[in-house]
Amino acid sequence: MRPKVAVFDFGCCEGCQLQLVNLEEALLDLVGLVDVRQWREAMSEHADDYEIALVEGSITRESEIPRLEAIRRQAKVLVALGACAHTGGINAMKNHMPMEQALEIVYGDKARWFDTIPARPLSAYVPVDAAVPGCPVDRQELVEVVKALLMGVTPALPTYPVCVECKMAENVCVFDLGLTCMGPVTRAGCRARCPSNGNRCLGCRGLVPEPNANAHKEILAEHGRTVEDILAEYRMFVSSAEVAQ
Amino acid sequence: MTLRVMEKGDLASFVERLIASEPGAVGPVRKDGKHVFARLASVEDLDLAYTTTLLPPKKYLFPPQETLLRFRLGAPPVVEPVLEAPPLVVIGVHPCDLRGIWATDRAFGDDHVDTNYRARREAITLIGADCLPDEHCFCTSVGSHLPEPASFDLFVTDIGDAVTVEIGSERGRALLERYARSREATAADLAGLQKRRHAKEAAVKARLNVDVQMLPLLLESVSTSPLWEQLGAKCLSCGNCNLVCPTCYCFDVGDLMQLNLEEGERIRRWDGCTLVDFATVAGGHNFRREAKSRVRHRYYRKFQYLMTRYGRSFCTGCGRCSRSCLAHINPPETINALLAEAEREEA
Repeated sequence: MRPKVAVFDFGCCEGCQLQLVNLEEALLDLVGLVDVRQWREAMSEHADDYEIALVEGSITRESEIPRLEAIRRQAKVLVALGACAHTGGINAMKNHMPMEQALEIVYGDKARWFDTIPARPLSAYVPVDAAVPGCPVDRQELVEVVKALLMGVTPALPTYPVCVECKMAENVCVFDLGLTCMGPVTRAGCRARCPSNGNRCLGCRGLVPEPNANAHKEILAEHGRTVEDILAEYRMFVSSAEVAQ
Repeated sequence: MTLRVMEKGDLASFVERLIASEPGAVGPVRKDGKHVFARLASVEDLDLAYTTTLLPPKKYLFPPQETLLRFRLGAPPVVEPVLEAPPLVVIGVHPCDLRGIWATDRAFGDDHVDTNYRARREAITLIGADCLPDEHCFCTSVGSHLPEPASFDLFVTDIGDAVTVEIGSERGRALLERYARSREATAADLAGLQKRRHAKEAAVKARLNVDVQMLPLLLESVSTSPLWEQLGAKCLSCGNCNLVCPTCYCFDVGDLMQLNLEEGERIRRWDGCTLVDFATVAGGHNFRREAKSRVRHRYYRKFQYLMTRYGRSFCTGCGRCSRSCLAHINPPETINALLAEAEREEA
């Protein structure tokens, strides 16, 4: 029996599902191993008897909470797909301002037509069994997580930071290029994709389980970043890290 | 051992002929203002005027990640070992990195012979080169600043108007005879080599204020130093010091399955004792839970445990960990602070 899988989304850009679609050939192999019961972005059929739920997006409205709880009740395994679902993602940047202000920035004079709550990861409301971090998710890692689930193994995320993969790729340290980087406190697993392609790490995969944020902040300050810069850096992707799994 | 001399232009044509005729030649090439060992397409790629590479040449003997075996599940499972050891000429290896290879030879080749390491080690030809120390180098303090006769196949030193070539093995001699034009060294050449070595020794500024042979004893007396606490507070547990180290040889092993869930490969990849979960064992217990105990462990490995076992420091003084540590933790400052503390306590 192939496990029955469904894909859901909450507050997000649906870019992580797009990464799933972008697997192309591997997607066909993957779909051969599972029975996809519903996936709004990719298919029109729809059934509610799924066992594995891949859930993208953060919870940003009251009405989403019961919907997420219903998914949790049905699914044997619930996987947070991507940064928004895993840590709150960039949606959670708004948590640092009054919700009225956030609504006004986005919807202007139509703000009163909408409701919103501080953006939270799925784990703030329901137990989450596994996560695929990142903005967007890394396709290779996504496949590894699905394979682990199919084999009945709990997918393990690295507990070490991006620096490990960056050193193994023999990149010149981003700090030596005159920039600053979230790599030393960010969970690895992306094969240091951004520093390997000329960018700095922005921390999209969330913090490692035991970040030495104080030491990291001192290093950022030493490299010319102001307190405001550092706060902005940390708030971009990891503001809800305290509630992330 | 024999000393030969090449004109500078002849060194370039020697390298050119190595690149053209040998199956693989690598050497230091520029990368974003730093240097890395990489494949040489022509002699123009090679830049011997360098202090250090980001990763040591260890990566050719013990790659960051390698496949150990491939398997297919079933009754019985089919298992095939994987061994890739292509012949390689590594050009421009500094004395500290030759010492690093001495260290990994001990770790992978003495008590427990690692087949993959051993095969690659035998397939590699080492052409050493003299170096340009920077403010982080402290090779003179651990005695790795001079090329040891048995540690290379050839070793070249720029003595001004020519280069000397020390022949360290029959393999080196054969390469030199086949591809290079060289002459016998004169007393003046030998004097030039000596002079160059003294100049280099004088250029090494960072140092340990203690005889390296005393370090196992010193460390014995400072295991509860408050310094470990201070270093632990600064340490990011990022593993940079481990990953760039020419003598760190720890690894982790795991299985990667293919999508058919029937075939897979067993891989090993670099690990590091400063990473949070390095000492986490079955049941979830972590016997080096705090950063301070991990930092301390790394120093004890380099200067006590392995030193006691193999008779020599497992730190080569290359300075890579000092350069890559964003928190500025570095062996000279650490060791000198511990020494000062021990001396204060004695007084």
